Amino acid sequence: MLDDIIQSYNEAVFETDRMAALNVVDRALAQGVTAEEVVFKVVIPAIETMMSLIASDPDANLAQHFMTSQIAVEVTEKMLPKFRNSPEVVGRVVIGTAHGDLHSLGKRIVMGCLKAMMVEVVDLGVNVSAEHFIDEAVRLDAQVIGISAMMVHTAMGEEGCRKVRARLQERGLTDRIKLVVGGAPYRFDPNLYQAVGADAWAEDGINAAKVIIELIREVKRHDTP
Amino acid sequence: MLTANHSNQMAVLTVHVGASVTCLPFGRGRSVREILDLFGPRVRAACGGIGACGACVVRVLRGEVNPLMPAERLRLDSAAQARGERLACQLRLLGDLAIRIDHPPPPSVWTTIPMEDLCPVSSEQPAAIRYKYGLAVDLGTTHIRLSLWDCGSRQRMATRRGPNPQGVFGADVLSRLDAARIHAAELARLVRDALIDALRDMLARELGKVTPLLADVGRVMIVGNTAMLTLLTGAGYDTLIDPAYWQQPISCQPPDWQAWQQAWGLPNAEIVLPAPVAGFIGSDLVADLIATDLVEGPPGSMLLDLGTNVELALWTGQRVLVTSTPGGPAFEGVGIRHGMPVQIGAIYRVHGIDAAFSCEVIGGVAPQGFCGSGLLDGIARLLENGALKPSGRFTVPPGTEGYRLDPDNPRTAITGHDVDAFQRAKAATAAAMGTLLAVAGLEWSDLQRLCICGSFGHHLDLSLAQSVGLLPPLALSRMELMTNAALSGCEQALLDGAGMARFARLTHLMAPVNLSMRGRYDDDYLDHLRLKPISLSQNQTIK
Repeated sequence: MLDDIIQSYNEAVFETDRMAALNVVDRALAQGVTAEEVVFKVVIPAIETMMSLIASDPDANLAQHFMTSQIAVEVTEKMLPKFRNSPEVVGRVVIGTAHGDLHSLGKRIVMGCLKAMMVEVVDLGVNVSAEHFIDEAVRLDAQVIGISAMMVHTAMGEEGCRKVRARLQERGLTDRIKLVVGGAPYRFDPNLYQAVGADAWAEDGINAAKVIIELIREVKRHDTP
Repeated sequence: MLTANHSNQMAVLTVHVGASVTCLPFGRGRSVREILDLFGPRVRAACGGIGACGACVVRVLRGEVNPLMPAERLRLDSAAQARGERLACQLRLLGDLAIRIDHPPPPSVWTTIPMEDLCPVSSEQPAAIRYKYGLAVDLGTTHIRLSLWDCGSRQRMATRRGPNPQGVFGADVLSRLDAARIHAAELARLVRDALIDALRDMLARELGKVTPLLADVGRVMIVGNTAMLTLLTGAGYDTLIDPAYWQQPISCQPPDWQAWQQAWGLPNAEIVLPAPVAGFIGSDLVADLIATDLVEGPPGSMLLDLGTNVELALWTGQRVLVTSTPGGPAFEGVGIRHGMPVQIGAIYRVHGIDAAFSCEVIGGVAPQGFCGSGLLDGIARLLENGALKPSGRFTVPPGTEGYRLDPDNPRTAITGHDVDAFQRAKAATAAAMGTLLAVAGLEWSDLQRLCICGSFGHHLDLSLAQSVGLLPPLALSRMELMTNAALSGCEQALLDGAGMARFARLTHLMAPVNLSMRGRYDDDYLDHLRLKPISLSQNQTIK
């Protein structure tokens, strides 16, 4: 039964047909599939399959990538309240766009993937100052700061990631809080993330979520010697 | 089968210059100079096409022509007549015709804007300018459009359209602003030189004199997006990439008017730059409002200026909500595999006949690529016949070379990436429209009037634009297409003594909306990515 559901769901997601995907999920729940199974056995594998398909398919497009992530987010958000036990949370991330940058779409997609993978995300919004990133990460005890920058001058500029890194060092937080960046400029220059002082970068939502989960584990390992 | 659209009214003008040959299919009856000014290699000219200067000599090689006109008998001696020489402004296209230009002028980037793309200006009001001539300028990111006016008689003397020479520093606004950090002076110089070059070109070719007439130019009015205005004046461009200024008025006044007058050789010209509304809302949008009389119409009137940067205005009855969104250059045929501007050889319409397609091509020649409206039509037709799915994927992947509308012509191919770029541009546009309506507390069905200006011009097929979800499915009677609206609004203000007051009054009514501060915009954007009609009830159901 689950195989049928997985197949129909994958087809709907591949066609970016949101209504069809939601219908498959409703049908699955009616047939007794649990919300946990929907998320862990249907939604997450589907988004992983989609991302690897998109990465290797010359015909795949950004629009499809966006729509796929949106469907995953929507389904996950609908399922979470139906979980029998509150899911085990991997860790916590604060996320926002760099100072001077108002492009929120990339951040939104990363947030969706993180939620689907049981990471708590706090959205700091757009045009976030370095101080605010750090203050909120400390206040909320987040393991990772995620900074999205879609323009060259916000990705490379002094007010963005570089400043967050400098403040983390000044305050001795480099082991407690890791720094991840994403956005078009980092894709064009895969070494840029290091130049601006980030610990990692990722090129799409699902990989961002994976990279962030790795860093959360690293921080937690460090915390519990 | 793909067919070039060749009606009986069309004839082909073949032009030889040196070793090069250009074929220009055109409607019969037009003068050869008129056709060449619009699209072709130019002839020399020093009058408004009345046979007065005798400069536009061409040699007829073969074809049917009208008899020699009186002006030609005056200007061409019997030897010249025996060689088959004619004046291009007097020679009319009656059937297929081949000519040679033996003494072409130096090449130029400027062409004339077709009459049918311009709006008439009422002749009622009195002249507003003390001097004889006025110049209206729409300074766009990609193109510059200008018109020269005889202000006393309210006659348009000439028009020009040409590329913004700053394009070498990047196609979009952001890369220009980035370049300005190092090359501000160079960027300003390039565009100022281009404006005066276009003015001199109009004076020289239409009036036959330049220097003495420059003193008769009494006013130059320039509209444009804020970034282009700051790059023209060299002031304020550095504040534009800081979001703190996006909703602030930005001063775009040059530091020293007299230096401009001097540099341009226009001692008596009042140089007028109506102030832009905000960092991301230019004076071109205000000019659009003037041209469309948007605030004279019913509440729920919306204006959409489609281009690389999409600008929108919504009249609520009390105020005008304005915003802009970076749709991307797909609407202008840029960033598309076989994309091209609206010029000879561009597919501008596509029809579907069973499983095949028929393209209408500008000039009726073999297709060389797609302009914005052709791409939209092509995508809509592929969707219609099932070759393309609402997700933007092809039913059968055509590979990186794309899907050929004409199997025999690779220049008619649309690729997956083209579809993707179009989807993102149309989603940004539709989401911006929906967000503005929501800010005003309105639904799609409350739209009473939708004015569509910008890059598609009058070639946009409204029904197809509705079928892919670029425009809402309103009754077609509520939608209006307008070409060169910003230039038209600028022209009206140029000729009106109270022109600046009109700009000020409209600007005062405007409330800028920053889409990135509206949470729903991203959701709407994702929802509008699919190639399907906008659902009229969609606006209320989304949180």
